[in-house]
Amino acid sequence: MAADYVSPIDERVREPEPLAPRPAAIGGRRVVLIDIRKNRGAEFLDRIEVLLQAAGASTARTAKEIFSKPAALALIDEITGRADLVVEALAD
Amino acid sequence: MTGSHHTPAGAHPAPALSVHGTGLGEVTVAALTAGGCALLLFVNEDCPTSALAMRRLGPLCRAWEQAGLSSTAVFEDPLDVAVRVARRLGWTGRLASEDPPYETSRAYQLVSVPTAVLVDRAGTIAGTVTGWDHAALAALIGRAGALLGAGLAVPEATEPLLKPGCSSKAAIDPELAAAMSAPAGTDDIEEMFERGWTDGLPVVPPTQDRVEAMLRGCDGRVSLGLVPPDLGEATLERVAACAVLAGCRPAYFPVVVAAAQAALDPAFNLHGQAVTTQPAGQLVVVNGPVREAIGLNSGMGALGPGFRANLTIGRALRLLVTLTGGGMPGKLDRSTQGQMGKVAFCVAEDEEVSPWEPLHAERGFQPGQSVVTLIGSDAPLSISDHRSRTPEDLAWVLAWAAASQWSTNWWPLEEPSVFVICPEHAEMFRAAGWTKQRLRQFMFEAVHKPAAELRRGETTPFVHAADPATQVPKWASPEAIVLIVAGGEAGRYSAVLGPCTGMGSQIVSREVGSPWPLTM
Repeated sequence: MAADYVSPIDERVREPEPLAPRPAAIGGRRVVLIDIRKNRGAEFLDRIEVLLQAAGASTARTAKEIFSKPAALALIDEITGRADLVVEALAD
Repeated sequence: MTGSHHTPAGAHPAPALSVHGTGLGEVTVAALTAGGCALLLFVNEDCPTSALAMRRLGPLCRAWEQAGLSSTAVFEDPLDVAVRVARRLGWTGRLASEDPPYETSRAYQLVSVPTAVLVDRAGTIAGTVTGWDHAALAALIGRAGALLGAGLAVPEATEPLLKPGCSSKAAIDPELAAAMSAPAGTDDIEEMFERGWTDGLPVVPPTQDRVEAMLRGCDGRVSLGLVPPDLGEATLERVAACAVLAGCRPAYFPVVVAAAQAALDPAFNLHGQAVTTQPAGQLVVVNGPVREAIGLNSGMGALGPGFRANLTIGRALRLLVTLTGGGMPGKLDRSTQGQMGKVAFCVAEDEEVSPWEPLHAERGFQPGQSVVTLIGSDAPLSISDHRSRTPEDLAWVLAWAAASQWSTNWWPLEEPSVFVICPEHAEMFRAAGWTKQRLRQFMFEAVHKPAAELRRGETTPFVHAADPATQVPKWASPEAIVLIVAGGEAGRYSAVLGPCTGMGSQIVSREVGSPWPLTM
């Protein structure tokens, strides 16, 4: 209860980001598949891409520079400019 | 304690709020109702019924927010208390705090806490519930749902369904309220554990006086940047708070600041190191005159316990990552097993005993400069060699000790292995006239295997693609072998620290105390 302490913590709280609305169907949608460069992530995306195309979506592939760093803002901007939906392959 | 009761909805406008929030903007009724409706839950730390309400309602807040109902716990306590209590009770909504004489509680005519107040889109009070009254609260939430045209979850109807609240601090004598808010005489070391301001060991409470002394004339508002993974801002005041918690003397603070600056360099990729399943620690190597000035140990037991400066400087950096950066083990820090180097790991090089140029001079600094170098690293492996009689034999033994780093078959290794050479081993190389570069080159060339022997379990794409007879070195280049000298004068034990792998983390150095003090 003592207010005398200096907090080591940044107490500011970011508001939670709401989830984007989920589409009812993926036919005709543009889907970007992101490989974060984790081992075997590309294999997972290969399989997903086939299923998406079979469902009528158009697909494109992209990749992060390295799995252990946040995606560059330029990459995020580029994806949002050309995708309706995004699929990201995470850990191996 | 007062009885619980339900106040029917009235048509009164919600009074203005005089509170502090955790966000950057001002907390107003208009802002809270911008998305639809607002639920204000007045509480205080001392009230068990408030705790009950926060625990029961807290998990629902995020879903309510999505549906347009903001929910804010308004504490009659300081904001740091609000944050701590909310974290402990699982409150996922917003937080606000009011100071004595609790003008907001008075404006809302509070008698007791908890009191839940529903405010509609027009800023009008649409209902009030005092105490814990499950049925009345469910009805209040239902009313919010009706106003929003959405179905809102209500807490499960588990006992107790009714529990009276406690007196609001606004409703009691101001002197008594102040006495209730005063420190309760609790053990301040235990208080630090309760707040979560610890790495699991006792810490020194970061009082205003101690933090001010630690700052040594620096402006606490100066920011060193955002600390991954949760991007808390490393103001010097927070860095100093971490240094106090770690047990640093103020004389160590310039070294802590330099370590923090190096850690926050994007080339170091602290983000990856802080959250990885690897046992990645942050090794702090200190060179230059500051070592003697503040009593850093580079001699006997250089990698172990016993010396305040070594242990607390390393610990201060780790507390910055875990507390300010939010990289707490088991939460955002996902390290599978961890390692003790993640508690604290600060090594001073014994430049006076070393036959070679010190690490910071190799990295472009003048020998007279004091420099901190950060290396993402695994735990040390001790290497015993009391029998080698030639520098070639000794270098071979040292180098092959590192053959299993990261993984037995993960060759070549791009990231650095850090060899801490003990004085007796260093003396053998000195007597033979071996330079650092010669030793590094010998070690690099000594450790290689045909690709065929490395194709088992986890190995590199390079090994998979290579001809089976291709000789594969352990390291990608001699430069991946880092050499420093430290340890006691007797005993032929050196050590090698494995890398943090696959993250593109670079070694980063920063000069200590340049400039100083840091001001806005």
